[in-house]
Amino acid sequence: MIAGLLRNNAFPKLFLAGIFAFLSCLPALALVVPDRPSGRVTDRTGTLTRDQILRLEQKLAAFERETTNQIAVLLIPSLEGDSLEDFSIRLAEKWKIGQQGRNNGVILLIVKNDRKLRIEVGYGLEGALPDALAGTIMRNEISPRFREGQFYQGIDAGVNAVIAATKGEYKASPKKKGSQMEAWIPFLLAGAFLVFFMLAASRARRRQYHSGSSRGWTSGGGFWYGGSSGGGGGFDSGGFSGGGGDFGGGGASGTW
Amino acid sequence: MSKVAIILIPLVIIGVLVVGAFGIYNGLVSSQEEAKTAWAQVENQYQRRADLIPNLVETVKGYAQQEKTVLEEVTRLRSQWGEARQSGDINKTLQAAQGLDGALGRLMVVVEKYPDLKSNQNFMKLQDQLEGTENRISVERRRFNESVLNYNKKIRTFPGALFAGLFGFERMPLFEAEQDAKKAPKVKF
Repeated sequence: MIAGLLRNNAFPKLFLAGIFAFLSCLPALALVVPDRPSGRVTDRTGTLTRDQILRLEQKLAAFERETTNQIAVLLIPSLEGDSLEDFSIRLAEKWKIGQQGRNNGVILLIVKNDRKLRIEVGYGLEGALPDALAGTIMRNEISPRFREGQFYQGIDAGVNAVIAATKGEYKASPKKKGSQMEAWIPFLLAGAFLVFFMLAASRARRRQYHSGSSRGWTSGGGFWYGGSSGGGGGFDSGGFSGGGGDFGGGGASGTW
Repeated sequence: MSKVAIILIPLVIIGVLVVGAFGIYNGLVSSQEEAKTAWAQVENQYQRRADLIPNLVETVKGYAQQEKTVLEEVTRLRSQWGEARQSGDINKTLQAAQGLDGALGRLMVVVEKYPDLKSNQNFMKLQDQLEGTENRISVERRRFNESVLNYNKKIRTFPGALFAGLFGFERMPLFEAEQDAKKAPKVKF
Protein backbone atom coordinates (compact mmCIF):
# COMPACT_ATOMS: atom_id res chain seq x y z
CA MET A 1 0.00 0.00 0.00
CA ILE A 2 2.83 2.35 0.88
CA ALA A 3 4.53 1.50 -2.35
CA GLY A 4 1.30 2.24 -4.18
CA LEU A 5 1.06 5.64 -2.54
CA LEU A 6 4.60 6.48 -3.47
CA ARG A 7 3.97 5.40 -7.01
CA ASN A 8 0.88 7.55 -7.26
CA ASN A 9 2.85 10.55 -6.19
CA ALA A 10 4.82 12.30 -8.85
CA PHE A 11 7.56 9.80 -9.49
CA PRO A 12 10.24 11.95 -11.03
CA LYS A 13 10.77 11.33 -14.69
CA LEU A 14 14.45 11.83 -14.16
CA PHE A 15 14.65 8.78 -12.02
CA LEU A 16 12.82 6.68 -14.56
CA ALA A 17 15.11 8.03 -17.24
CA GLY A 18 18.02 6.97 -15.08
CA ILE A 19 16.68 3.47 -14.85
CA PHE A 20 16.28 3.33 -18.61
CA ALA A 21 19.81 4.60 -19.10
CA PHE A 22 21.01 1.91 -16.78
CA LEU A 23 19.00 -0.81 -18.47
CA SER A 24 20.28 0.26 -21.84
CA CYS A 25 23.79 -0.41 -20.56
CA LEU A 26 22.86 -4.01 -19.95
CA PRO A 27 23.44 -6.47 -22.76
CA ALA A 28 20.43 -6.87 -24.98
CA LEU A 29 20.86 -10.61 -25.15
CA ALA A 30 21.98 -11.92 -21.81
CA LEU A 31 22.89 -15.57 -21.96
CA VAL A 32 21.86 -17.33 -18.77
CA VAL A 33 24.82 -18.16 -16.56
CA PRO A 34 24.75 -21.79 -15.45
CA ASP A 35 24.67 -22.54 -11.74
CA ARG A 36 27.93 -23.18 -10.02
CA PRO A 37 28.77 -26.79 -10.82
CA SER A 38 29.94 -29.41 -8.38
CA GLY A 39 33.14 -30.00 -10.33
CA ARG A 40 35.99 -27.78 -11.43
CA VAL A 41 35.76 -28.74 -15.07
CA THR A 42 32.42 -28.40 -16.83
CA ASP A 43 32.08 -29.38 -20.44
CA ARG A 44 28.77 -28.50 -22.05
CA THR A 45 30.03 -29.24 -25.52
CA GLY A 46 30.88 -32.92 -25.17
CA THR A 47 34.43 -32.25 -26.31
CA LEU A 48 36.39 -33.82 -23.48
CA THR A 49 36.24 -37.46 -22.50
CA ARG A 50 35.31 -38.42 -18.98
CA ASP A 51 38.87 -39.52 -18.39
CA GLN A 52 40.28 -36.18 -19.54
CA ILE A 53 37.88 -34.28 -17.29
CA LEU A 54 38.91 -36.45 -14.38
CA ARG A 55 42.60 -35.83 -14.99
CA LEU A 56 42.07 -32.08 -15.15
CA GLU A 57 39.90 -32.20 -12.02
CA GLN A 58 42.64 -34.00 -10.12
CA LYS A 59 45.27 -31.56 -11.22
CA LEU A 60 43.18 -28.57 -10.21
CA ALA A 61 42.19 -30.13 -6.88
CA ALA A 62 45.83 -30.84 -6.06
CA PHE A 63 46.74 -27.28 -6.98
CA GLU A 64 44.03 -25.95 -4.72
CA ARG A 65 45.14 -28.10 -1.79
CA GLU A 66 48.63 -26.75 -2.21
CA THR A 67 47.92 -23.06 -2.69
CA THR A 68 44.16 -22.58 -2.02
CA ASN A 69 43.96 -20.98 -5.47
CA GLN A 70 40.92 -22.18 -7.37
CA ILE A 71 40.75 -22.69 -11.11
CA ALA A 72 37.52 -23.55 -12.91
CA VAL A 73 37.13 -24.51 -16.55
CA LEU A 74 33.91 -24.11 -18.52
CA LEU A 75 33.29 -25.10 -22.13
CA ILE A 76 30.08 -23.89 -23.72
CA PRO A 77 28.99 -24.24 -27.34
CA SER A 78 27.96 -20.64 -28.05
CA LEU A 79 27.41 -17.22 -26.50
CA GLU A 80 24.21 -16.84 -28.50
CA GLY A 81 25.05 -13.27 -29.37
CA ASP A 82 26.11 -12.21 -25.88
CA SER A 83 29.45 -10.51 -25.39
CA LEU A 84 32.28 -12.71 -24.17
CA GLU A 85 33.46 -10.30 -21.48
CA ASP A 86 29.94 -9.65 -20.18
CA PHE A 87 29.14 -13.30 -19.91
CA SER A 88 32.48 -14.05 -18.33
CA ILE A 89 32.18 -11.47 -15.55
CA ARG A 90 28.61 -12.52 -14.79
CA LEU A 91 29.88 -16.08 -14.60
CA ALA A 92 32.62 -15.00 -12.23
CA GLU A 93 30.18 -13.06 -10.06
CA LYS A 94 27.85 -16.03 -9.83
CA TRP A 95 30.39 -18.79 -9.28
CA LYS A 96 32.65 -16.78 -7.00
CA ILE A 97 35.66 -18.96 -7.68
CA GLY A 98 38.50 -18.39 -5.22
CA GLN A 99 38.61 -18.06 -1.47
CA GLN A 100 36.81 -15.27 0.24
CA GLY A 101 39.20 -12.51 1.23
CA ARG A 102 41.93 -13.88 -1.03
CA ASN A 103 39.99 -13.58 -4.27
CA ASN A 104 42.32 -16.11 -5.79
CA GLY A 105 40.18 -17.63 -8.50
CA VAL A 106 40.76 -18.09 -12.21
CA ILE A 107 38.15 -19.10 -14.77
CA LEU A 108 39.06 -20.48 -18.16
CA LEU A 109 36.03 -19.96 -20.39
CA ILE A 110 35.94 -21.59 -23.81
CA VAL A 111 33.18 -20.89 -26.32
CA LYS A 112 33.73 -23.62 -28.82
CA ASN A 113 31.58 -22.71 -31.82
CA ASP A 114 32.33 -19.00 -31.53
CA ARG A 115 36.05 -19.84 -31.30
CA LYS A 116 36.47 -17.45 -28.38
CA LEU A 117 38.16 -17.94 -25.07
CA ARG A 118 38.86 -15.90 -22.00
CA ILE A 119 40.94 -16.22 -18.88
CA GLU A 120 39.12 -14.35 -16.12
CA VAL A 121 41.41 -13.52 -13.21
CA GLY A 122 40.27 -12.77 -9.66
CA TYR A 123 41.44 -9.62 -7.88
CA GLY A 124 43.89 -11.53 -5.74
CA LEU A 125 45.77 -13.06 -8.65
CA GLU A 126 45.97 -9.99 -10.85
CA GLY A 127 49.51 -9.47 -9.58
CA ALA A 128 50.71 -12.97 -10.32
CA LEU A 129 48.74 -13.33 -13.51
CA PRO A 130 48.50 -9.89 -15.11
CA ASP A 131 46.51 -9.37 -18.28
CA ALA A 132 49.56 -9.46 -20.51
CA LEU A 133 50.62 -12.83 -19.09
CA ALA A 134 47.11 -14.23 -19.43
CA GLY A 135 47.12 -13.08 -23.04
CA THR A 136 50.53 -14.61 -23.67
CA ILE A 137 49.43 -17.92 -22.17
CA MET A 138 46.43 -17.92 -24.45
CA ARG A 139 48.42 -17.10 -27.56
CA ASN A 140 51.33 -19.41 -26.89
CA GLU A 141 49.80 -22.36 -25.06
CA ILE A 142 46.10 -22.64 -25.73
CA SER A 143 45.21 -21.16 -29.13
CA PRO A 144 47.79 -23.06 -31.21
CA ARG A 145 46.54 -26.39 -29.83
CA PHE A 146 42.89 -25.45 -30.22
CA ARG A 147 43.60 -24.54 -33.82
CA GLU A 148 44.61 -28.14 -34.40
CA GLY A 149 41.51 -29.41 -32.66
CA GLN A 150 43.47 -30.55 -29.59
CA PHE A 151 41.16 -29.18 -26.97
CA TYR A 152 42.26 -31.27 -24.05
CA GLN A 153 45.93 -30.58 -24.76
CA GLY A 154 45.23 -26.87 -25.07
CA ILE A 155 43.31 -26.68 -21.81
CA ASP A 156 45.91 -28.79 -20.05
CA ALA A 157 48.77 -26.61 -21.28
CA GLY A 158 46.86 -23.47 -20.35
CA VAL A 159 46.11 -24.78 -16.89
CA ASN A 160 49.75 -25.75 -16.40
CA ALA A 161 50.88 -22.27 -17.39
CA VAL A 162 48.34 -20.61 -15.08
CA ILE A 163 49.46 -22.86 -12.24
CA ALA A 164 53.10 -22.06 -12.90
CA ALA A 165 52.32 -18.35 -12.99
CA THR A 166 50.34 -18.27 -9.78
CA LYS A 167 52.33 -20.66 -7.64
CA GLY A 168 53.84 -19.13 -4.57
CA GLU A 169 51.41 -16.23 -4.59
CA TYR A 170 49.12 -15.85 -1.60
CA LYS A 171 50.98 -17.95 0.91
CA ALA A 172 50.34 -15.23 3.42
CA SER A 173 47.49 -15.62 5.83
CA PRO A 174 44.15 -14.39 4.57
CA LYS A 175 43.13 -10.82 5.13
CA LYS A 176 41.02 -10.41 8.22
CA LYS A 177 37.60 -9.05 7.61
CA GLY A 178 36.66 -5.88 9.46
CA SER A 179 34.88 -6.31 12.75
CA GLN A 180 31.16 -6.84 12.49
CA MET A 181 30.65 -5.32 15.93
CA GLU A 182 29.70 -1.86 14.69
CA ALA A 183 26.58 -3.09 12.94
CA TRP A 184 25.34 -4.54 16.21
CA ILE A 185 25.89 -1.53 18.40
CA PRO A 186 22.29 -0.32 17.92
CA PHE A 187 20.99 -3.72 18.98
CA LEU A 188 23.33 -3.87 21.93
CA LEU A 189 22.19 -0.39 22.89
CA ALA A 190 18.56 -1.42 22.54
CA GLY A 191 19.24 -4.49 24.67
CA ALA A 192 21.03 -2.43 27.32
CA PHE A 193 18.26 0.13 27.22
CA LEU A 194 15.57 -2.46 27.77
CA VAL A 195 17.53 -4.33 30.42
CA PHE A 196 18.14 -1.08 32.25
CA PHE A 197 14.44 -0.26 32.37
CA MET A 198 13.42 -3.77 33.26
CA LEU A 199 15.88 -3.73 36.11
CA ALA A 200 14.68 -0.31 37.19
CA ALA A 201 11.13 -1.57 37.10
CA SER A 202 11.92 -4.69 39.08
CA ARG A 203 13.71 -2.59 41.68
CA ALA A 204 10.79 -0.24 41.93
CA ARG A 205 8.22 -2.95 42.25
CA ARG A 206 10.35 -5.53 44.03
CA ARG A 207 8.61 -8.27 42.15
CA GLN A 208 10.28 -11.59 41.43
CA TYR A 209 9.07 -12.13 37.87
CA HIS A 210 10.64 -8.93 36.60
CA SER A 211 14.15 -10.05 37.32
CA GLY A 212 13.25 -13.23 35.46
CA SER A 213 12.19 -11.26 32.42
CA SER A 214 15.37 -9.22 32.55
CA ARG A 215 17.35 -12.41 32.19
CA GLY A 216 15.14 -13.24 29.23
CA TRP A 217 16.07 -10.03 27.46
CA THR A 218 19.77 -10.53 28.01
CA SER A 219 19.64 -13.93 26.41
CA GLY A 220 17.65 -12.35 23.60
CA GLY A 221 20.57 -10.02 22.98
CA GLY A 222 22.85 -13.01 22.94
CA PHE A 223 20.72 -14.61 20.30
CA TRP A 224 20.96 -11.59 18.04
CA TYR A 225 24.67 -11.39 18.43
CA GLY A 226 25.06 -15.06 17.69
CA GLY A 227 23.06 -14.56 14.52
CA SER A 228 25.61 -12.11 13.17
CA SER A 229 28.46 -14.55 13.13
CA GLY A 230 26.75 -16.93 10.72
CA GLY A 231 27.66 -17.24 7.06
CA GLY A 232 31.39 -16.87 6.53
CA GLY A 233 33.28 -18.29 3.59
CA GLY A 234 33.83 -21.98 4.17
CA PHE A 235 37.17 -23.52 3.39
CA ASP A 236 36.87 -26.71 1.49
CA SER A 237 38.24 -30.10 2.21
CA GLY A 238 38.63 -32.05 -0.97
CA GLY A 239 35.40 -31.18 -2.79
CA PHE A 240 34.79 -28.10 -4.86
CA SER A 241 33.41 -25.65 -2.36
CA GLY A 242 34.81 -22.56 -0.75
CA GLY A 243 34.03 -19.67 -3.03
CA GLY A 244 33.52 -16.03 -2.26
CA GLY A 245 36.29 -14.80 -4.52
CA ASP A 246 35.74 -11.42 -6.19
CA PHE A 247 36.58 -10.52 -9.75
CA GLY A 248 37.04 -7.12 -11.30
CA GLY A 249 37.29 -7.89 -14.98
CA GLY A 250 40.99 -8.72 -15.09
CA GLY A 251 42.34 -11.28 -17.52
CA ALA A 252 42.46 -11.55 -21.27
CA SER A 253 40.28 -12.58 -24.18
CA GLY A 254 41.29 -14.25 -27.38
CA THR A 255 40.39 -16.41 -30.30
CA TRP A 256 41.88 -19.36 -32.09
CA MET B 1 -1.36 -0.58 35.85
CA SER B 2 1.10 1.01 38.09
CA LYS B 3 2.62 4.42 37.52
CA VAL B 4 5.91 2.78 36.68
CA ALA B 5 4.43 0.86 33.78
CA ILE B 6 2.73 3.96 32.41
CA ILE B 7 6.07 5.75 32.30
CA LEU B 8 8.02 2.72 31.24
CA ILE B 9 6.02 1.56 28.22
CA PRO B 10 6.28 4.81 26.21
CA LEU B 11 9.97 5.03 27.08
CA VAL B 12 10.61 1.55 25.78
CA ILE B 13 8.66 2.29 22.61
CA ILE B 14 10.61 5.51 22.07
CA GLY B 15 13.84 3.63 22.69
CA VAL B 16 13.00 1.02 20.10
CA LEU B 17 12.00 3.69 17.58
CA VAL B 18 15.19 5.63 18.14
CA VAL B 19 17.30 2.53 17.66
CA GLY B 20 15.35 1.67 14.51
CA ALA B 21 15.96 5.17 13.21
CA PHE B 22 19.69 4.75 13.80
CA GLY B 23 19.58 1.63 11.71
CA ILE B 24 17.77 3.26 8.80
CA TYR B 25 20.00 6.31 8.87
CA ASN B 26 23.13 4.17 8.97
CA GLY B 27 21.77 2.10 6.12
CA LEU B 28 21.43 5.23 3.99
CA VAL B 29 24.90 6.42 4.89
CA SER B 30 26.50 3.10 4.12
CA SER B 31 24.84 2.71 0.73
CA GLN B 32 25.86 6.25 -0.11
CA GLU B 33 29.43 5.41 0.86
CA GLU B 34 29.22 2.25 -1.20
CA ALA B 35 28.27 4.26 -4.27
CA LYS B 36 31.12 6.69 -3.63
CA THR B 37 33.58 3.83 -3.32
CA ALA B 38 32.25 2.36 -6.53
CA TRP B 39 32.89 5.68 -8.22
CA ALA B 40 36.43 5.75 -6.92
CA GLN B 41 36.92 2.32 -8.47
CA VAL B 42 35.77 3.62 -11.84
CA GLU B 43 38.28 6.46 -11.58
CA ASN B 44 41.05 4.07 -10.54
CA GLN B 45 40.52 2.07 -13.68
CA TYR B 46 40.61 5.19 -15.82
CA GLN B 47 43.86 6.06 -14.09
CA ARG B 48 45.18 2.63 -14.86
CA ARG B 49 44.41 3.16 -18.50
CA ALA B 50 46.00 6.59 -18.50
CA ASP B 51 49.15 5.02 -17.07
CA LEU B 52 49.34 2.64 -20.00
CA ILE B 53 49.13 5.31 -22.65
CA PRO B 54 52.71 6.70 -22.70
CA ASN B 55 54.10 3.22 -23.22
CA LEU B 56 51.54 2.50 -25.90
CA VAL B 57 52.26 5.74 -27.73
CA GLU B 58 56.01 5.04 -27.64
CA THR B 59 55.56 1.54 -29.00
CA VAL B 60 53.27 2.63 -31.82
CA LYS B 61 55.65 5.50 -32.68
CA GLY B 62 58.41 3.02 -33.31
CA TYR B 63 56.47 1.48 -36.16
CA ALA B 64 54.13 4.19 -37.32
CA GLN B 65 55.99 7.47 -37.14
CA GLN B 66 53.78 9.02 -39.79
CA GLU B 67 50.63 8.67 -37.64
CA LYS B 68 51.59 11.75 -35.70
CA THR B 69 48.13 13.31 -35.57
CA VAL B 70 46.45 10.42 -33.83
CA LEU B 71 49.32 9.88 -31.44
CA GLU B 72 49.41 13.52 -30.49
CA GLU B 73 45.67 13.54 -30.02
CA VAL B 74 45.85 10.59 -27.63
CA THR B 75 48.63 12.23 -25.64
CA ARG B 76 46.79 15.55 -25.52
CA LEU B 77 43.50 14.01 -24.41
CA ARG B 78 45.29 11.99 -21.79
CA SER B 79 46.73 15.08 -20.16
CA GLN B 80 43.38 16.80 -20.54
CA TRP B 81 41.82 13.96 -18.59
CA GLY B 82 44.51 14.26 -15.95
CA GLU B 83 43.81 17.97 -15.53
CA ALA B 84 40.06 17.41 -15.39
CA ARG B 85 40.56 14.81 -12.71
CA GLN B 86 42.78 17.13 -10.71
CA SER B 87 40.05 19.75 -10.83
CA GLY B 88 37.68 17.27 -9.22
CA ASP B 89 34.83 18.09 -11.58
CA ILE B 90 33.15 14.75 -12.21
CA ASN B 91 31.35 15.78 -15.37
CA LYS B 92 34.47 17.25 -16.91
CA THR B 93 36.47 14.16 -15.98
CA LEU B 94 33.91 11.93 -17.61
CA GLN B 95 33.83 13.99 -20.76
CA ALA B 96 37.59 13.90 -21.00
CA ALA B 97 37.61 10.15 -20.38
CA GLN B 98 35.13 9.63 -23.18
CA GLY B 99 37.14 11.85 -25.49
CA LEU B 100 40.11 9.64 -24.72
CA ASP B 101 38.00 6.55 -25.50
CA GLY B 102 37.39 7.92 -28.97
CA ALA B 103 41.02 8.82 -29.62
CA LEU B 104 42.21 5.40 -28.49
CA GLY B 105 39.66 3.79 -30.77
CA ARG B 106 41.03 5.79 -33.72
CA LEU B 107 44.59 4.87 -32.80
CA MET B 108 43.66 1.21 -32.82
CA VAL B 109 42.12 1.53 -36.28
CA VAL B 110 45.34 3.12 -37.52
CA VAL B 111 47.37 0.28 -36.06
CA GLU B 112 45.60 -2.14 -38.40
CA LYS B 113 47.78 -0.83 -41.23
CA TYR B 114 50.98 -2.02 -39.58
CA PRO B 115 51.28 -5.80 -39.49
CA ASP B 116 54.78 -5.61 -38.04
CA LEU B 117 53.50 -3.62 -35.10
CA LYS B 118 50.56 -5.93 -34.59
CA SER B 119 52.81 -8.96 -34.37
CA ASN B 120 55.25 -7.23 -32.02
CA GLN B 121 55.34 -9.10 -28.68
CA ASN B 122 55.56 -5.94 -26.65
CA PHE B 123 52.64 -4.43 -28.49
CA MET B 124 50.53 -7.55 -28.03
CA LYS B 125 51.10 -7.36 -24.28
CA LEU B 126 50.15 -3.71 -24.23
CA GLN B 127 47.06 -4.60 -26.18
CA ASP B 128 46.17 -7.24 -23.55
CA GLN B 129 46.63 -4.71 -20.80
CA LEU B 130 44.60 -2.08 -22.57
CA GLU B 131 41.78 -4.51 -23.29
CA GLY B 132 41.89 -5.74 -19.71
CA THR B 133 41.67 -2.19 -18.45
CA GLU B 134 38.78 -1.33 -20.74
CA ASN B 135 37.01 -4.38 -19.45
CA ARG B 136 37.68 -3.39 -15.86
CA ILE B 137 36.30 0.06 -16.59
CA SER B 138 33.07 -1.40 -17.89
CA VAL B 139 32.80 -3.78 -14.93
CA GLU B 140 33.33 -0.99 -12.41
CA ARG B 141 30.97 1.27 -14.31
CA ARG B 142 28.21 -1.30 -14.09
CA ARG B 143 28.89 -1.87 -10.40
CA PHE B 144 28.79 1.86 -9.79
CA ASN B 145 25.41 2.10 -11.52
CA GLU B 146 24.11 -0.82 -9.50
CA SER B 147 25.13 0.75 -6.22
CA VAL B 148 23.70 4.13 -7.22
CA LEU B 149 20.45 2.47 -8.20
CA ASN B 150 20.34 0.74 -4.85
CA TYR B 151 21.01 3.98 -3.00
CA ASN B 152 18.48 5.96 -5.04
CA LYS B 153 15.90 3.30 -4.39
CA LYS B 154 16.55 3.50 -0.67
CA ILE B 155 16.11 7.26 -0.46
CA ARG B 156 12.94 7.14 -2.52
CA THR B 157 11.14 4.32 -0.75
CA PHE B 158 9.71 4.05 2.73
CA PRO B 159 11.17 4.32 5.33
CA GLY B 160 14.39 5.74 3.92
CA ALA B 161 12.46 8.50 2.14
CA LEU B 162 11.56 10.02 5.54
CA PHE B 163 15.22 10.46 6.42
CA ALA B 164 16.41 11.41 2.97
CA GLY B 165 14.47 14.68 3.13
CA LEU B 166 15.34 15.30 6.76
CA PHE B 167 19.09 14.82 6.43
CA GLY B 168 19.54 15.95 2.85
CA PHE B 169 20.38 12.68 1.12
CA GLU B 170 20.25 13.54 -2.54
CA ARG B 171 19.71 11.41 -5.57
CA MET B 172 22.97 10.43 -7.23
CA PRO B 173 23.35 10.44 -11.01
CA LEU B 174 24.01 7.22 -12.85
CA PHE B 175 26.94 6.83 -15.17
CA GLU B 176 25.11 7.65 -18.35
CA ALA B 177 27.68 6.77 -20.92
CA GLU B 178 26.71 7.77 -24.42
CA GLN B 179 24.87 5.36 -26.64
CA ASP B 180 26.71 2.09 -27.18
CA ALA B 181 29.40 3.12 -24.73
CA LYS B 182 30.09 -0.58 -24.42
CA LYS B 183 31.37 -0.42 -27.97
CA ALA B 184 33.03 2.99 -27.69
CA PRO B 185 36.23 1.95 -25.92
CA LYS B 186 36.60 -0.98 -28.30
CA VAL B 187 40.21 -1.73 -28.81
CA LYS B 188 39.89 -4.86 -30.87
CA PHE B 189 42.81 -5.29 -33.16
